[in-house]
Amino acid sequence: MKNNELKVTKVLAFYLGGQILGLVLGVIIQTLISGAFSTTYFLDLSSWLFGVLLSLLGFFYSLVGYYGLVKGLVWQVVGTLAGALFVSLIRFFMGLEPFNLTTFGFSEPAWVVGALVGTISFMAGVGAITDWYKWALGEKTADHHHDIEGFKKYFGVSLDHKVIGIQYTVTSILLLCIGGLFALVFRTELSNSSLEFLSLQLYNSLMSLHGMVMIVSILLGIAGVINYLVPMLIGAQDMAFPRLNAFSFWVAIPAAVILLSSLALGGFDTGWTGYPPLSVRAPLGMSMFFVGIWVAGWSSILGALNLIVTVLRLRAKGMIAFRMPIFVWAATATSIISLTATQMIGLAFQLVLFQRLMGMPFFDPTKGGNPVLFQHLFWFYSHPVVYVFILPGLGVISELLPVFARKPLFGYKWIAMSSLGIALVGFLVWAHHMFSSGMNEYLRVPFMYSTLLVAVPTGVKFFSWIATLWQGKLTRDLPTPFLFVLGGIVVFLLGGLTGPPNATVSTDLHLTDTYFIVGHFHDTMFGGYIFPFFAALYYWFPKATGKRLNETLGKIHFWLMTPSFLILTLFMMRVGLLGMRRRIADYDPALNFDVWHLAMTVSAYLIAISILVFIFNIIKTVRGKADATGNVWNSRSPEWLVPSPLPAHNYDQEMIVVGEPYDYGLEGSKYVEFIQKEVL
Amino acid sequence: MSDNHNNLSSQLNQGLVIFIVLAFLTFIEYMVAITNQSLLLLSIAATIKAGLVLYYYMHVYKLAKLDEDADQSSLTWKITTNRLGFWLFILSDAFLFAGLLVTRFNLLGLTRPDLNQVLGLIVTGVLLVSSFFMNRAETYIKAGNKNGFIFSTVVTLVLGVGFLLGVVGVEWQEAPFSAGDSAASAVFFMMTGMHAFHVLTGVIFLGIILNNGRRDLYSSENYWAVEAATIYWHFIDVVWIFFYPALYLIGILG
Repeated sequence: MKNNELKVTKVLAFYLGGQILGLVLGVIIQTLISGAFSTTYFLDLSSWLFGVLLSLLGFFYSLVGYYGLVKGLVWQVVGTLAGALFVSLIRFFMGLEPFNLTTFGFSEPAWVVGALVGTISFMAGVGAITDWYKWALGEKTADHHHDIEGFKKYFGVSLDHKVIGIQYTVTSILLLCIGGLFALVFRTELSNSSLEFLSLQLYNSLMSLHGMVMIVSILLGIAGVINYLVPMLIGAQDMAFPRLNAFSFWVAIPAAVILLSSLALGGFDTGWTGYPPLSVRAPLGMSMFFVGIWVAGWSSILGALNLIVTVLRLRAKGMIAFRMPIFVWAATATSIISLTATQMIGLAFQLVLFQRLMGMPFFDPTKGGNPVLFQHLFWFYSHPVVYVFILPGLGVISELLPVFARKPLFGYKWIAMSSLGIALVGFLVWAHHMFSSGMNEYLRVPFMYSTLLVAVPTGVKFFSWIATLWQGKLTRDLPTPFLFVLGGIVVFLLGGLTGPPNATVSTDLHLTDTYFIVGHFHDTMFGGYIFPFFAALYYWFPKATGKRLNETLGKIHFWLMTPSFLILTLFMMRVGLLGMRRRIADYDPALNFDVWHLAMTVSAYLIAISILVFIFNIIKTVRGKADATGNVWNSRSPEWLVPSPLPAHNYDQEMIVVGEPYDYGLEGSKYVEFIQKEVL
Repeated sequence: MSDNHNNLSSQLNQGLVIFIVLAFLTFIEYMVAITNQSLLLLSIAATIKAGLVLYYYMHVYKLAKLDEDADQSSLTWKITTNRLGFWLFILSDAFLFAGLLVTRFNLLGLTRPDLNQVLGLIVTGVLLVSSFFMNRAETYIKAGNKNGFIFSTVVTLVLGVGFLLGVVGVEWQEAPFSAGDSAASAVFFMMTGMHAFHVLTGVIFLGIILNNGRRDLYSSENYWAVEAATIYWHFIDVVWIFFYPALYLIGILG
């Protein structure tokens, strides 16, 4: 007990020490730059955020010492400074101004190169590229590296897909909380008309970062669930390329740091879309945003590559395509999009970055450029990416429904193909975001019809879910994961039904850039990702830890979050229809929206409280004892037929698929069999 | 032994024939461009060239042999898996270059920047010859001929550096415009720059396999790194097969 208290004191001391050190350093730097001391420097946002970075470093250091993540972050800071200084030196020799006080000391090119060098040095520091480096030098390395025992393994490079899956998921929840916090701040500002405590610039930065931080969080969240589940579901030992898998996760950490650093480095005001010409003129934070997303894109691309190869090459014997679990189908469809389309947003952001840094006028109409080109490239990724977000979620819904309804999944083949269908149609709809952008008018109608086509495979999913639930043997007391599945279906239906009005040109011209779009979008994201993500967490938590999350707390979480969320988005749509513009910090009191916005703000806080309940539930359960090591949900899926949690390399017996995956309630049917490995 | 030898020489000859066809098609492209500028003919020629490289130099058909070996601990299984992963990477990268082509046609339409035609033809030739030697390097290592491999890889590497010097060292300096002048100049520097960056990484890759090949780390069964470097190098060539007409040949001077 005494030991524990000491440890808590130490962690707190390091955390607070980091914060104070960062703040003091920030004040000293500002004093040096301006030549005079002022007490207002203590209120400076950049210094505070610098302090947050240092305090997190101190926090992790006090937990695990100079290892893995801590080492990587230290190397990243050093690498960033080295890269930036190198560019400053080159600028000096070229006769340019080496330093620029208006952009936080270094010039903008120096910051960008520094961020990239920092990313590489993070990867070297954390140890994610050590093996590849040795291979390039012609050295051999062990096929498997054994993980160290205890929780410390989660802070360093591990090649085990389950460890990486948990690393992804925890990082995702952390970013979800940060993104949610941003939303709470500007939601509070919006609770009545007139500006209360945020500046316009800060409002815009928070609103833009809320979007992109959430997107990165969702990308990491689905990568986490996919990484954890897919090898287990298909009976593989690990992903096809374990080192690439570790690389994909770790490269997302410096990406998140760079992305969040944009808030400290001047922020930006374009929203998450970063359209030029505004993004060409935005402050330095814009460049950090572009670089951060560019790096995060590599995480997405390489993870997707790894998954496709894993599914194609590592399935258990007898698992033909139409006996794969639906989640694996969904993950594959998702990965096809991530693998290819991500390059387009990377390219779009690079082009703006080059225009900012070197004046290459891609989007400057006075020199032959075209701002609409950016929107085409941007949406070619950013529309399909919403299917990246929702397809795994819809896969989770299809995966869990038959387990709780105790009935076969209705229309298995149609569900499997509908995921691929959504992914493929998703490539052909991007310009529906641009109906009012001034693109060629003849493009409007084809893109309207292709967008409405998405409703067909999505409808297939809904009919299958309803038919699966029909006459299902539900228990009177619905378990938490099932509640989240049902909530997801209802919310996603709302999101789906509000889609066609936006896809139809005539109505979209009125709805575009209003809160109606915001409400629609949040409905699809919560229904397609957040609800299924929580369902998956509650459902597979016993698999990962051997401990089951508390049911009562889980139900409080659900019943607090769902009604608040419905109020939030329905009110958004209402004020949107009445003319509330999106992305604005202030609105006219004469519109009489104050009370609606206040209700939305209260709902947002209730959602935040429900998330706190969830986190409390996790902490409480993890500290409890492992008493749920068996088949908690009475599932047929192979991972539940063996005790939880699984060891490294999953199954010690060979798995053979002998039947259909979702034949619940059929006598004598069997999905998989385990056979003892032959001893040679 | 002699059977093996015949096999080697027939494969080398095949590489040579493909090279001659590619060179001939490039010449045709150039002639089309200076006579009637038919967009259709240029596209057909570029597509045929890309198809030839994909099939005969990059051996894309090997991807179809996915389940030849079910034993997951064997070397062939691992190489087949690696090959699949590497091709997916190439596919992803291809989308980046496709995006650059979209950018080029969106901004410039059927005009082209004012570039040195002779220099363009020379660097294209240099890259084509390097592709030919890259194919020889792979053929040699597959036959277990270390000296042939080393020689061909060194030639490829030197030609690759020559291409980089030609584009970045000469073409960029000689161009009658700078990057910030117009959308056309920006597109030119962006496309050649992104391609040159890939050539640079390819040269580094070649340096690695040269160093490891020198130390006898590859055998006729286990030469995956060489195969990967080969696929990558030919992919760079395929990209240039489309970039060369897009930048130098198509359309009228803008």
